Amino acid sequence: MKKDNMQVDHVTASVIQGALENIAVEMGYKLMRMSYSSIIRESEDFGAALVDSEGRGLAESAQSTPLQSGPIPGYVRGVLRILAERGETIQPGDVIMHNDAYAGASHGPDVGFIVPVFHEDALIAFATTTAHHLDIGALTPGSCGIVDAIDAYAEGLQFKAIKVYEQGQKVVPVWHLLRDNIRVSDLVVGDMEAQIAAARFGAEQLGELINRYGRTTFAAACDAVMNYAERLMRQAIAALPDGRYSATTYIDGYLDDPDPARRDLPLVVTINVEGDEMTVDLTGTTPQVSDRPINMPLEGTVDIAIWLTVRSVLLDTDTHGHIPVNDGLVRPIHIVAPKGCLANPVFPAPTIARFCPGNQLADTVMKALAEVAPQQVSAGIGNLRVIAFSGLQDSTHWVHMEIFEGSYGGRHGKDGMDAVDTLYANTRNNPIEDIESHLPLRVSRYELREDVCGAGEWRGGFGSVREFEYLSNGAAAVEGEGHHYAPWGFRGGNDGGVASLNLARVDGETLEMPSKVPHTALKTGDRFVCVGPAGGGYGDPFQRDPERVLTDVIDELISRQSAERDYGVAITKELVLDHSATATLRQAHSAK
Amino acid sequence: MILIGVDVGGTFTDLVVTNTESGDSQIHKIPTTPEDPSQGVIDGLQEVCDQFEINPADVRHILHGTTIATNAVLEYEGAKTGLITTAGYRDILHIGRHQRPQHYSIMQDIPWQNRPLVRRAQRLTVTERLIPPNGDVLIPLDEPAVRVAAQQLKRDGVDAIAVCFLFSYLNPAHEDRAREIIQSEYPNCFVTTSQSVSPQFREFERFTTAAMNAFIGPKVRTYVHELESTLAKQGFKQAELHVMGSNGGVATAKMVAEKPVLTLLSGPAAGVMGGGLSGQLVERSNVITFDVGGTSADIGLIVKNTYSEATARDTWIGGYPVMAPMIDIHTIGAGGGSIAYIDDGGAFRVGPASAGATPGPAAYGHGGDRPTVTDAHLVLGHLIEGKFLGGEMNLDLQAANTVIDRLASELGLDRPEAADGIMAIINANMANAIRSRTIQKGHDPREFSLVSFGGAGPLHGVDVARILDIPEVIIPPYPGITSAVGLLTTDLKYDAIRTEFQISDRVDTHRLARDFDRMQAELATQFEQDGLQQSDITYRRSGDLRYVGQGYELRVPFAASRVDTASLAHVFETFQSIHLAEYGHIFDDSPIEIVNIRLTGSGEMPKIELRSATASTDSPPLDHRPCFFRIEGTLQQLDTALYQRETLASKQQIDGPAIILQKDTTIVIPPGASAVTHPSNNLLIDTGV
Repeated sequence: MKKDNMQVDHVTASVIQGALENIAVEMGYKLMRMSYSSIIRESEDFGAALVDSEGRGLAESAQSTPLQSGPIPGYVRGVLRILAERGETIQPGDVIMHNDAYAGASHGPDVGFIVPVFHEDALIAFATTTAHHLDIGALTPGSCGIVDAIDAYAEGLQFKAIKVYEQGQKVVPVWHLLRDNIRVSDLVVGDMEAQIAAARFGAEQLGELINRYGRTTFAAACDAVMNYAERLMRQAIAALPDGRYSATTYIDGYLDDPDPARRDLPLVVTINVEGDEMTVDLTGTTPQVSDRPINMPLEGTVDIAIWLTVRSVLLDTDTHGHIPVNDGLVRPIHIVAPKGCLANPVFPAPTIARFCPGNQLADTVMKALAEVAPQQVSAGIGNLRVIAFSGLQDSTHWVHMEIFEGSYGGRHGKDGMDAVDTLYANTRNNPIEDIESHLPLRVSRYELREDVCGAGEWRGGFGSVREFEYLSNGAAAVEGEGHHYAPWGFRGGNDGGVASLNLARVDGETLEMPSKVPHTALKTGDRFVCVGPAGGGYGDPFQRDPERVLTDVIDELISRQSAERDYGVAITKELVLDHSATATLRQAHSAK
Repeated sequence: MILIGVDVGGTFTDLVVTNTESGDSQIHKIPTTPEDPSQGVIDGLQEVCDQFEINPADVRHILHGTTIATNAVLEYEGAKTGLITTAGYRDILHIGRHQRPQHYSIMQDIPWQNRPLVRRAQRLTVTERLIPPNGDVLIPLDEPAVRVAAQQLKRDGVDAIAVCFLFSYLNPAHEDRAREIIQSEYPNCFVTTSQSVSPQFREFERFTTAAMNAFIGPKVRTYVHELESTLAKQGFKQAELHVMGSNGGVATAKMVAEKPVLTLLSGPAAGVMGGGLSGQLVERSNVITFDVGGTSADIGLIVKNTYSEATARDTWIGGYPVMAPMIDIHTIGAGGGSIAYIDDGGAFRVGPASAGATPGPAAYGHGGDRPTVTDAHLVLGHLIEGKFLGGEMNLDLQAANTVIDRLASELGLDRPEAADGIMAIINANMANAIRSRTIQKGHDPREFSLVSFGGAGPLHGVDVARILDIPEVIIPPYPGITSAVGLLTTDLKYDAIRTEFQISDRVDTHRLARDFDRMQAELATQFEQDGLQQSDITYRRSGDLRYVGQGYELRVPFAASRVDTASLAHVFETFQSIHLAEYGHIFDDSPIEIVNIRLTGSGEMPKIELRSATASTDSPPLDHRPCFFRIEGTLQQLDTALYQRETLASKQQIDGPAIILQKDTTIVIPPGASAVTHPSNNLLIDTGV
């Protein structure tokens, strides 16, 4: 067995790894419980992580969504670069705020707060929290659905390594600036304070840990833990045959836009496996859309989408158990993205609405891996949607952001997961009983979407239907995907179902909306009907066990007609399997 | 008066009998009968009566800890269950919070989708709708539709039905009416309503709790009824049967038959109570209970003589959320059977996989071929071949040496170093878990004593305490049956809850007072039905509070009887201080929301009497033997004294290194630590930190 480093023994490495993870978890716990806005506390759209002085990730919080904790090392590296350029240094007691999507941040609303950890006057590490804030002072209320921002300046405030505390002293003018330029600032500033409290807690705990073991042992243990994760990933990659594996999928972009350069955009992924390393090359991906914010920051979104997918497929925690998340895990993965493509835009191209394209990129990476690891992937996933609901009451804004679930494709030996967040997002919905108790909204329906599904030997998951009705005048802005392109079927499975969005106006008119809708005024009684996508099917549906098809019919998930058409399974009106008719149907199908 | 506590565990059914007049207590242990746990309970009770010459007719109370409800959930062996819910919301139970349990997994299963408590075909909807803030009726209940649904579910062969309507916690009328209709259509069906089980907002969690109650209801109801009737047949004519609830109190058999979901943490809760008793007897108000068995360790926290209750959002069983009152117990996969291994990446790990009872550790000689924590203890000399479990079970040192040697060669260490490495890792895992339970709540572990029990707790107590700078470890008199002892320390305890959503700057004190009064009247009726005098009942008020906008509440005590501006001001101040302690921050000037109010009623029950240590002269060591201990970084073999716990005199002091043998456990006193037997027969160990 290989030994990492003679400075630290296996036992100490294991003990320090446990302690690091524990601290990150506790940071996340405190932030989630303290925070005000539902996007953080319910949707869990926040991150907490520990990073070493070089910007290498040491551990992340288990609760937070991957798209928040994953980018944190990038935030720290971005801050270190900017401070070095400006000739500033980091002092004990500093708290640094950062959201620069061109310097490591995931996108503008995901503001990071970074607290340094010193030991005997030396900077050793950082404790950092990130969170998606309700509003960041963009052109319209809320921080999602800003789909018409034309550049980075239109997306709201940009924080490039701004000290909000200097050596323990609050930098008061910055806080005035925040309060004056952000809507619902009580909530947002409260959440920022919560982030700082949680990061400071993490820094304090990390400082004690370093004191307990000493700087040298601590550093050696961190190296050992990162090397360990690296070995796991290298072994997993080495198990794949060398070769190039490619996939392409498309995003809607702006389906209602007259400019064809803004819609039906390809994402291209080529994975080159060589020994125990892989290169993920995005060459061929559509050029950046310079004046629409669906561009994806390379560091903070694109890298996370790739890492997340590779590790979920190759080191699936359901089969591999707990895997520490740190810098080692990503070392064997190289990313190539041509400058100026959607996945590596040039400043000041806007990026605030990169959520859905990024998840589609994750899906494309999975599709490329499907070729070489077919039993570890799902067929195409259904992508997500976010709506910012807002309104003005007595000169005060209310803003509520809700993330709408997608669904997974079928898997080897398993149907897809129904109505869940997919790939790089793993947020939670808001309870209906919470929404209606606190906001002028009514959730008038929340169910599975029946009879639309990617048929397969292992079928895709079902999407959802969720309806929101306005109980007072207000507005909405929407960013979604997958209205035009259905989740891909795999190994003979059918494609899944596209998403859709209808707006039923109180005056009786029903409008079919595209996947992206900029800020739009709405009236009391207007209602959104949000239809989620259905994941792709896995394997030939005519090979599906007829009993499983029958179960889906009995459960009223699919109709008898669909059973016959998609699966060649005949079911009587009394919901009994007709074996002979089924055999006939299936024979006729295989003869074709 | 004679009381018997009987706790059914995975391997053993433990019994404690106490005579409140003479102060005598006796313990007994028999193997659990997993096929029908009531068999072991009945056999155990009879053996106890025979052995200690007790007339069954003289037994007044039987207090029972059971895993019947828990196992039904964990093994997914419940009733075929139906659901009747609000039209438009058929799949709340299935969609859940739309979150996957694991971030980084494609192949995972979602428990509520993969193992649904109610299949979609049996999830039926009826038109009705209530709305906040007062539960007003937006759409009236379609009663004929309820009747049709009940008939259909009856035809489908369900044995239980859960009625789950949105906002029912604000107005139970629709759920109650639906229950009446179902009961008239299908009288034998087990029917539960969501608001009667958990009248709190958050529909997925409440509906799941109700569905789970229905899912396990028929099984638990049958178990309890059969146990009661068998007890009567066996001559326990006066004995009242009570079952331990997850909330740290007991409930009547009737209550448990209606709301089995209240007993999901029956055994672990009894453990916390038993550990808490030791704390009380030695007059320590802050203790951490640390119950270590073969596969897992349960950690509980008692602060100022009060155990804490888990918040409603943190209570899960078998991957399902359950909103029922539960003692805050944190379980980790670390115990005597935890397996040590080198993983694919070359890291040294211990647990959470466990060799369990079969095959068990290699040292058990039942075919276990992987090194476990128990094997490491044997190699280090902490466990002794011929003296395990009072000599009733032999340990195979050779087998332990073999498996530890294999690990040692992989690690490039010698045998004792590898065994000690296992200790260091498992102890660190345990200490991490305790650290998070304490610092998470804003407590400093150094201000606590660690009550260490279960078969393996006393082996690890001092080492774990030292990692956390905890100055004292307490070992209860019967560490292996602390849960059974805990059963005899409880009161009859019921909880009531109301969702309020009231804001600090405009509290309707009249409504608050009225709601507290109503809850008290409900509980009083319940206690009256159970035959208690009002004078034996105490009520405790509390609330779940948060800053307006937050999503997680903190539990805050309310004044005993008054609801007025002054008492509320105190409540809000207390909230601020709890918030500061727990999160390290307060939001000045932010309004505070009273989300729920709670009332807990406790009906006084007779309790266990524990005899004090009897020997008057210090007993000498039985023997001496070499054992390994790590001193200042170096593993050393030291001459170690062996004692027998039962013969120790009151106040006898034993300095480490020493090993104290006991029938159901082994206690390790490392060098630098020192133990003394407290008059209450608890062992107090000064950890030397």
